[in-house]
Amino acid sequence: MDDKLDLLQGTLDLMVLQTLATMGPQHGYGVARRIEQVSGDKVIINQGTIYAALVRLQHRRLIKAEWGISGNNRRACFYSLTARGRKQLEERAANWQRISNVMDRIFDQAAEEPE
Amino acid sequence: MMLSWIFEAAARIRSLFSKSALDRKLQEELDAHIEFATEENIRRGMPPDAARREAMLQLGSRDAALELHRDTRGLPSFETFVQDLVYGSRQLRRNPAVTLTAILTLAIAIGANTTIFTVANALLFRDPTGVTDPTRLVDIGVSYKGIGFGSNSYPNYIDIARNTTTLDGIYAHGRFPNGTKVAAGGRVERAFVMITSTNYFEVLGAKPVVGRAFAADETSTAVLSYRYWTRRFNRDPAIVGQTLRLDEKPFTVIGVASDGFQGTGVRAADIWIPLIANDRRNAAWLLLGGRLKPSSTQAQAAAELRSIGNALAEEYPADNKDKGLEVAALSPLPGETRPVGGFLGLLMGIVTIVLAIACANISGVLLARAAARRQEIAVRLAIGAGRFRIFRQLLTETVLLFAISGIAGVALARVMTSVLISQFPKLPFPINLALSLDTRIVAFAMALSFVAALFSGLTPALQASKGEVVSALKSDVTRSFGRLRFRNAFVVAQVALSVLLVVLAGLFVRALLNASIIDPGFDLRGVELATLDFKTAGYNEATGAAYARELVERIRRIPVVEAATIATVIPGGFEGIGLGGLSVPGVIPADGKPLFSATWNVIEPGYFATLHMPLVEGRDFTDDDQAASPAVVILGEGAARRFWPGESAAGKSIEMRTGTQPGQGPPPAKRLLVVGVARDPKFGSLVDGSSGIYAYLPLQQAQLQVWTMIAARSTDGRRLTEEIRAAVGSANPNLTIESSQTGDEYASLGLAPWRIAASVSGSLGIVGLLLAGIGVYGMTAYLVTRRTREIGVRVALGASRSSVVTLMVKQGMRLVAIGGFIGMAFAAGAAQLLASLLFGVPPLDPLIFSATAALFLVIGFLACYIPALRATRINAIEALRHD
Repeated sequence: MDDKLDLLQGTLDLMVLQTLATMGPQHGYGVARRIEQVSGDKVIINQGTIYAALVRLQHRRLIKAEWGISGNNRRACFYSLTARGRKQLEERAANWQRISNVMDRIFDQAAEEPE
Repeated sequence: MMLSWIFEAAARIRSLFSKSALDRKLQEELDAHIEFATEENIRRGMPPDAARREAMLQLGSRDAALELHRDTRGLPSFETFVQDLVYGSRQLRRNPAVTLTAILTLAIAIGANTTIFTVANALLFRDPTGVTDPTRLVDIGVSYKGIGFGSNSYPNYIDIARNTTTLDGIYAHGRFPNGTKVAAGGRVERAFVMITSTNYFEVLGAKPVVGRAFAADETSTAVLSYRYWTRRFNRDPAIVGQTLRLDEKPFTVIGVASDGFQGTGVRAADIWIPLIANDRRNAAWLLLGGRLKPSSTQAQAAAELRSIGNALAEEYPADNKDKGLEVAALSPLPGETRPVGGFLGLLMGIVTIVLAIACANISGVLLARAAARRQEIAVRLAIGAGRFRIFRQLLTETVLLFAISGIAGVALARVMTSVLISQFPKLPFPINLALSLDTRIVAFAMALSFVAALFSGLTPALQASKGEVVSALKSDVTRSFGRLRFRNAFVVAQVALSVLLVVLAGLFVRALLNASIIDPGFDLRGVELATLDFKTAGYNEATGAAYARELVERIRRIPVVEAATIATVIPGGFEGIGLGGLSVPGVIPADGKPLFSATWNVIEPGYFATLHMPLVEGRDFTDDDQAASPAVVILGEGAARRFWPGESAAGKSIEMRTGTQPGQGPPPAKRLLVVGVARDPKFGSLVDGSSGIYAYLPLQQAQLQVWTMIAARSTDGRRLTEEIRAAVGSANPNLTIESSQTGDEYASLGLAPWRIAASVSGSLGIVGLLLAGIGVYGMTAYLVTRRTREIGVRVALGASRSSVVTLMVKQGMRLVAIGGFIGMAFAAGAAQLLASLLFGVPPLDPLIFSATAALFLVIGFLACYIPALRATRINAIEALRHD
């Protein structure tokens, strides 16, 4: 339990958006599982919290929901990105990358410093 | 990014309306989630049961998911608030007796506050009806040496209007509407006519509902008020174009004002007529007002008018010296705002005390209720409710209670307002007080309720939410005594405030009784009073004196008149006039000032006889005291005793000094011979503490004041209105009678504030007393319940029932005593502050203080004893089992 990361809701939202961008329309379980797998099981403590993130993104019109049939003929609600969502994802991902680069450089500096 | 927030907010609100549908959707999704997870687990090789179990573990708590989903999609704060409201109303309904008593108590207190505010609103804040954008309007008043806010003259008005750049238009109107004889369509009656400048309606932005308003330079036209038009002419539009005769002069009706329009003042007018130009710069009878230009502020206008005022003073020193112009925001009582505000402030203070008592009462009740619910609260805390959540819920309950009371209070205020108005004395003219509910009043009541709720509910809610969980669950009695200290404090506060209120009420009632019973030193019963304006009719010092003499003799010749006089001031209403100080050769004022300050009056012979004021020495003025004769004066007996104790004052001299000029040496002294001494009027001024030095000058020798009063006593006590009017009119048709009333009405007007204060504080004093009694009663009853087990122990160990009762009563009376002392101390302080208003009742009046103490002792004792009696009925065995 201790090595699972504490996530801000904004970060989880970003992960959901990216997952939908990569995988295409998915249901809640699919999104949760994918995030767990990609992060090496380090992220979601209980999968139930994914539904709160999904409804939040829905409210902000970044994703939309549609009932459909899954692979094994099971009825599920599928979520997909909207145009707004796609744009937001691009912007936020770029931002994240920028921050990440800067932080890398700062931490490298710190590593080199004590001389 | 911003847009996302808006979408989210809207979506959150929308989700409140489809809660069950959204919940169902989530459950479906969670079911599907479990199925998918189970399938994957089976695929990975788990047996079906284990797969499903693992899936459910992975999902986590469904309830937690549901809660999180609800919090994310809705408005959690709002939803908990609604929840609290529903729960709170259920709690209130559980104990209807207590709830209703609380609501009634609070409704009375809030209602009283709202009532006073309604009156204050009407007199000080309310916007006049039918006026456009009244916040941009200002009143312009004249100050003398920087003090006051009075009327101006026509030529000054014209000059000001011509020179102003910050005001868009300046209007002028008479001080108040005059009673006038109106003849129309064969009927003659009295109506109130207000004289205004022709731009009056235009500047105020008041559009007539029929016809038109004045055009510039019109003279003989009239605009009717809507009320008058309805009452007299049945809203007949054909009245426009008809002619009315006002005091025999013809006026053509050109329009009717809009419904509710009454100008800017408190006194109501039936008809408006245009101002006629005159060139008397010293006849100050107009009140001015103006509209600020969109680009100007009131401060700028004030500065500009100050300099215009200075310019006028320089240019016309004879008429405008030492006079300045002041600007104030539009008010129904221009210039009078401070004394009226002060009086209303006093009333407001009284009702606030009542509200405080009610709040303390409710706080005690809330504390008791919280104590009764401590187990429920402890359980809720134990299973994870946050302390703040409980606190918020208790507070919401309190706010709900106060909100209901607030609404009831507003309804009650309407009744109270009518009652209060009926206390006002009958005035000789109609007034226009807008006392109906408006948004400001309702907002005040609700805001007051909310503040009172916080005040009342904060401590109990804080205390309750602390909830010592373990001890509460164990039903341990001893721990909850901490709350007792608060409840004690609330009871003490209630008693103290009630004592304060009752003492104040007693003082006011006594003051009122004093004012009515004690021989005032004069008698106005059976006297008719009429106020005249000499300067407007064109009289100056020389001609006015002669005319006044002729007028009073004309009135005396009327057969039914027993005695008549003309004077500047009639006692029983307003103060004397300021004509400067006086000095007495050989006598030095005690306070070290160079002159004695005196209350002057300017009178015609016959004053003392008409008003039944005895002359204790010497003589009244006679026809021989003319302008050319030696200057004489009559002094009051208080003054005579002070200057020449033990000696006769007649024959002595004093010196009158008028108009001190800074830096120019002592002013010229006028030597006056004392020819008589009169009894002092005891309550000659509205506020006691008048100088005590009364001095009278003969009208023929003194300056004629603008306003003077005729006082005439009839032989048979009948009214002399018409006779006086005829006498005045026949002598000079231009002289208008400003107002005409009986001496009784005049005197009662002066006492009106006391009557109102006495009835308000008296009735509220009773309410406060009751509340305090209830508070003490409730406290003792609570004590008995709390200490039931202890009482059982005592009785079982052999204590007599009466000793137990004594124990309870002693505890309760201790609180009453402490509260009583504190209250008396506050009351003594307050009484000292109000001493000057009490008509000679000593502020530390022993009768009132001891009566109040006795009253509270009795009520307090009863309030303790009756519930304590319950202790005697406690069965010892059961008590020991009680928690």
